[in-house]
Amino acid sequence: MVYDILLPSLPFIIGYLGTYLLYRGGYIKKSMHINIWNLILGLIFLISGGGGFILLILLELGTLLPINIHLLYWHVELGLTLVLITIFHFHTYWKTSKKMFTINNGG
Amino acid sequence: MMRDRLIKALATIPIVTAFSMSGSCAAGCPYGLVNDPYPGHCPRYIDINGDGLCDLSQATTATTDTSTSSSDDDTVATDSIDDSTNGRGHDVDVVDDPQNASSISDTGDIDGNLSDDGGGYYLLPISLLLISGYLFTHYLFSKGILSPKKHRRLWNLFVTAGYLGTGVTGVILTFMVNMGVKTALNPSITFWHAEFAILMVIGTLIHIHLYWKPFKNIFKVLFGFKTFKGEFKRNNNME
Repeated sequence: MVYDILLPSLPFIIGYLGTYLLYRGGYIKKSMHINIWNLILGLIFLISGGGGFILLILLELGTLLPINIHLLYWHVELGLTLVLITIFHFHTYWKTSKKMFTINNGG
Repeated sequence: MMRDRLIKALATIPIVTAFSMSGSCAAGCPYGLVNDPYPGHCPRYIDINGDGLCDLSQATTATTDTSTSSSDDDTVATDSIDDSTNGRGHDVDVVDDPQNASSISDTGDIDGNLSDDGGGYYLLPISLLLISGYLFTHYLFSKGILSPKKHRRLWNLFVTAGYLGTGVTGVILTFMVNMGVKTALNPSITFWHAEFAILMVIGTLIHIHLYWKPFKNIFKVLFGFKTFKGEFKRNNNME
């Protein structure tokens, strides 16, 4: 079993660059660009993270279901995409992300 | 009388189910795979007998072999299982390099004991610890002891650690599965992947709670949804 790494990531890289360039070019609002990717992040998290969480519960309970293997496959594939979109999320909120790691910023 | 018997009979169902479940899963594949070929679907792949199939997925084979040993027809028994696997519709690959598979089996003993268990990820204790931790900091924040900024920053750090840990270990595990790399570290990486994932999932739910307004904004901006309060005010001409 070989998991695809580049194939599921490619549409998201192109998509992010696309909406980013549209926002920079003034074709769409910044809030639109941010919210599109927040929604995608939420959906991918729901499937990948939620799927992983269900898988973990099933493992803890020792329950075998026919769906387990499909859940594992999509958990891995969308998990890789989640990593990528998390990087985009950090890019979007770079200023606040940087503040998070500083010790004294008056907070 | 009849009713009591019925209740007793029904009450035994979960107990019988639980016993049969634990019995069937004790040494089997935690994902329910049968004859999973090299390099396997998950990092738990182990091949001590060197047949190019994950030993955990062969739990059924072992029992079938012993039951059919009297008929001296092990090949037929294994073939029938192979057919049933293909019939399930999974992506079952053919072992390209049996030598490679057998070489992997040499390292199988090292992590065999660790990779065999299907649980032990402390899902409930960690979840409860995080939720109680959040409730505690939320209490401190509501009482003015902790500033909103510090409160948010603290949980943002936690969720970042969760995403970073899960992401890094997940990518490592995917590469290991893809390349068929089997080390003694695999079970540890899987364990920490699961632990960080618990932090990530609970942390994300907390993150959504902390940023509830921007979260609602997603639907407002993209789909034009109004908040329930706003809709109520508008419908009742309160604005």
